[in-house]
Amino acid sequence: MYARIIYNDIARNTVVTTITMLFIAAAALLVALAAVLIINLSGAMETLMREAQTPHFMQMHAGPIDPAGIDSFAQQQPDVLEYQILEFLNIESAQIVIGSNSLASNVQDNGFSVQSEHFDYLLDLDNQIITVSDGQVYVPLCYLKDQTAAIGDELVVKGMSFTVAGFLRDSQMNSNLSSSKRFLISANDYEKLQEFGEIEYLIEFRLHDLSRLSAFESAYIEAGLEANGPTITYPLFKMINALSDGFMIAVILLVSLLIVAIAFMCIRFTLLAKIEDDYREIGIMKAIGLQLNDIKKIYLMSYALIAVTGSLLGLALSYVFKGLLLENIRLFMGESDNTALAPLLSLLGVLLIGAAVMIYVYRILHRFRSISAVEAIRYGGSQKRPHLHSRLSLNQNNLVPVNVFLGIKDVLSRKSLYATMLAVLIIAACIIIFPQNLYNTISSKDFISYMGVGSYDLRFDIQQTDSIPEKASLIAQALSADPEVTASAVYTTKVYTLITDEGSREQITVELGDHSVFPISYAQGSGVSSEDEIALSSINARELGTQVGDTLTLLLNGSPRVLTVSGIYSDITNGGKTAKASFSDPSARTMWAVISAALDDPSLAEEKTRGYAELFGYAKVSGVDAYIDQTFGSTIESVRKAAGAAAAVALAVSVLVTLLFMKMLIARDRYPIAVMKALGFTSADIRVQYISRSVFVLLIGVVLGTVAANTLGEVLAGKVIAAFGAASFSFTIDPFTAYLISPLMMAAAVLAATGIGVSRAGHITMIDHIKE
Amino acid sequence: MHTHIITGKDIVKVYGEHQEKRNVLDGVSVKIAQGEFVSVMGPSGSGKSTLMYALSAMDRIDSGTIHFDGRDVSNLSENEFAHMSRNEMGFVFQQPTLLKNLNILDNIILPSLRDNRKQLPKITSQARELMKKLGIADLERRNITQVSGGQLQRAGICRALMCSPKIIFGDEPTGALNSRTAQEIMDIFTAIHAEGTTIMLVTHDAKVAAQSERVLFLCDGKIVSEISFPRENGMNLEQRMQLVSRRMQEIEI
Ligand SMILES: Nc1ncnc2c1ncn2[C@@H]1O[C@H](COP(=O)(O)OP(=O)(O)OP(=O)(O)O)[C@@H](O)[C@H]1O
Ligand SMILES: [Mg+2]
Repeated sequence: MYARIIYNDIARNTVVTTITMLFIAAAALLVALAAVLIINLSGAMETLMREAQTPHFMQMHAGPIDPAGIDSFAQQQPDVLEYQILEFLNIESAQIVIGSNSLASNVQDNGFSVQSEHFDYLLDLDNQIITVSDGQVYVPLCYLKDQTAAIGDELVVKGMSFTVAGFLRDSQMNSNLSSSKRFLISANDYEKLQEFGEIEYLIEFRLHDLSRLSAFESAYIEAGLEANGPTITYPLFKMINALSDGFMIAVILLVSLLIVAIAFMCIRFTLLAKIEDDYREIGIMKAIGLQLNDIKKIYLMSYALIAVTGSLLGLALSYVFKGLLLENIRLFMGESDNTALAPLLSLLGVLLIGAAVMIYVYRILHRFRSISAVEAIRYGGSQKRPHLHSRLSLNQNNLVPVNVFLGIKDVLSRKSLYATMLAVLIIAACIIIFPQNLYNTISSKDFISYMGVGSYDLRFDIQQTDSIPEKASLIAQALSADPEVTASAVYTTKVYTLITDEGSREQITVELGDHSVFPISYAQGSGVSSEDEIALSSINARELGTQVGDTLTLLLNGSPRVLTVSGIYSDITNGGKTAKASFSDPSARTMWAVISAALDDPSLAEEKTRGYAELFGYAKVSGVDAYIDQTFGSTIESVRKAAGAAAAVALAVSVLVTLLFMKMLIARDRYPIAVMKALGFTSADIRVQYISRSVFVLLIGVVLGTVAANTLGEVLAGKVIAAFGAASFSFTIDPFTAYLISPLMMAAAVLAATGIGVSRAGHITMIDHIKE
Repeated sequence: MHTHIITGKDIVKVYGEHQEKRNVLDGVSVKIAQGEFVSVMGPSGSGKSTLMYALSAMDRIDSGTIHFDGRDVSNLSENEFAHMSRNEMGFVFQQPTLLKNLNILDNIILPSLRDNRKQLPKITSQARELMKKLGIADLERRNITQVSGGQLQRAGICRALMCSPKIIFGDEPTGALNSRTAQEIMDIFTAIHAEGTTIMLVTHDAKVAAQSERVLFLCDGKIVSEISFPRENGMNLEQRMQLVSRRMQEIEI
């Protein structure tokens, strides 16, 4: 029985109904996609890590090794299910050439391995364990993604030639965030290649029960076994694998939230307008004692129809688009096996959106209660609404043209109506500017200082070689003699035993050197300023339960030394567990050294990199740009793409909403427009009035939006970055785009939309609306 | 001798499409003299409003010609109409067509202000004078929902008078008022007319029509009858009303 009324209602407002539905559909689409992505990401990751049998605990180690010691440790540990010692043959990247592409400028530690025997398998694209023949090589997937390699290419390393037979999934080193990459070759080939590289050992364990991991970790350290290199555990492998796609999911969820907000605004506007239109009828119904619930039901049902159609549309579209977004996950991790859950979770997300819409509609309909029958019948509208600003009186204005005045006056006297458009414009401005700021920030050189990396131009890594301190000081000497180098510092990393309050011992790696030369940003406290201080990475601080001002006791050369924690910083390097101090201790063995240098002219970095790489063959020399590019490159790139997409979406949304808004306004204002025309106002006058309304709202919206994106956005981004363990944070704002280009773009888009939206105002005929 | 401010010849106005097509005005010819007070009567749906809006050039016509003050105004463009309506015509409608978000005074000065913003003080004082004359002087700051129907109608008339129009068109201006208020409004129209303004009113009310100088009777899109009350004619209001009512009854049969 309501069907007819609902049908008429929708048919009368096709444009508005369609757009509202589209927003609901878009929100449903994004939520459904996010659900699919979450399920597939976690599922595929699980499958990959199960098929590959990722180690639960892995100690990388460079230098001599005592397999018997490890074996007896493993035998004694009841937690150990199995263990193995893999070799990773580290080859200087410049020596690897695939087809016509050299890996010389690659900052990854590239190396060769044979297939493991017990676990930690290297898998092909079907997640099958690869068996490799002599003369073949399987290449890490990231080189397929960046098109360095293709099947059939020739890979040449130190004069040995291989054919690229395929690509491999490496459950622990897939991600760009992990710094090593394994190439798979046959045992025979490996033997021949061995003399050209440095062997690094991967001491890997799988446990019976993963929950015993931290106990096992301590036991390993206690046992004093080989530990010259980072330790990586199962949860960290997982996190590294999930990070980049997880980021995308977070962005999608955020955008869907915004779109839901916009859909709500459309609904709010349409409903408020409708209630105002129907004010008289509703009042009369009230006056003659009809059930309000019946009218409410009609509204609710029309929106239920819109919500259901929109949600279904979104759900259907999500099937079309999901392949696109799953591409990356499929490539790097393969198929997921609990995909059955994905449609379920999508449905749940979409239902949530639908329910939110209905609840929102229901809440707006509460306004029915406040409709006064008397006002409705006597005045055909609420008396409260047009509350006049006595100061904004035509008879006191001779500064602004009448049409402009009428436009502004209308905005001010119907604030709650225009608040909808204002909110959309503010959000749109934020969506345009915020990701841009984010992009500018993370692509700026300073950003890495939030990530535990000082702001330098050149970086020398000396690892896995003997007499590291001597080699480091040779480089330092060369740098101080170089007139183009303005500053340089040597950082040596050593392992110390830390005595906790409970008296147990833990290993901690400490980076020693003058940390004031290339300062990083501290989340709390500050850098070390004396030899009695130490700064901890946030993960270390969390695990040790220490705060700024606490003390730690390290064993230096056998004797305890008490250090005060001066600051806590975020770090993504070396598994996030680092510490910085400035005491000197020539006695302990140096695990690795990093020499950082700043150049007078940073644009010379590339040239210098090449020069020094030739001079010091044992060091890996990289420009910081290349370093950033290859570690954060994909993240920066996705943020850049996201920023572009967000700006496009926001512009499209502002255009759409403005258009919609203007159309709705004009449809509602037919009567006053007709009256004004009868009084001698031309269509052009009317258009000026509407454009003034739009410009007025636009100005406020753009200003507020810009300010919000640049200030609140900073706080928000800081919070997000803090979740990754990063320090206090400030935006790098490009004023030209943030304060000029973006607002101008928005203004242009909104004005164009207003122009189109009000063009029909001229078609309103006087006669039809005022003739008696 | 009279000069004619409006001359309409053979006006045809068609509404509807195809089979539904209907001449709502079917070859109407009307002349309204300068300074005349004309009223139009007729059954509901006979085309009174259509005729009035056609003569004022607000509506388009399908054939025929209309001259206003010597100019051909048949099928003016919207902007030409707007200019003419702003400067030379006044409209008063049955429903007070005031804008909701302006107060009474602002509503009255709005059309005049469009072209002469710089003369605001003059315009405002003129409006205040008119409001005083029409008895709504103390309502100028009121919101339009805060005054009575009769007061709104007076405000509407003030607005129509602001441009010192050559003619005022009224489409049932008293239709929504009680008889006492209606008579007060008619007194205002009579006074305006006495000052020399031409008036054309559409009405259902014999008493309203009886106060004009000439009554046109419209039926099915044609002028079927006409009564004149020349000044020298000694009939009183009562007699005129009876005459008009009787003629209406004849037409409606
Ligand atoms: N826009 C329109 N489309 C079609 N027909 C119309 C339109 N406007 C008016 N009509 C028809 O034209 C005829 C004359 O209408 P008009 O409004 O002039 O009558 P009226 O004499 O003013 O009636 P009333 O006294 O009820 O106001 C009516 O039959 C009406 O149905
Ligand atoms: Mg009429």
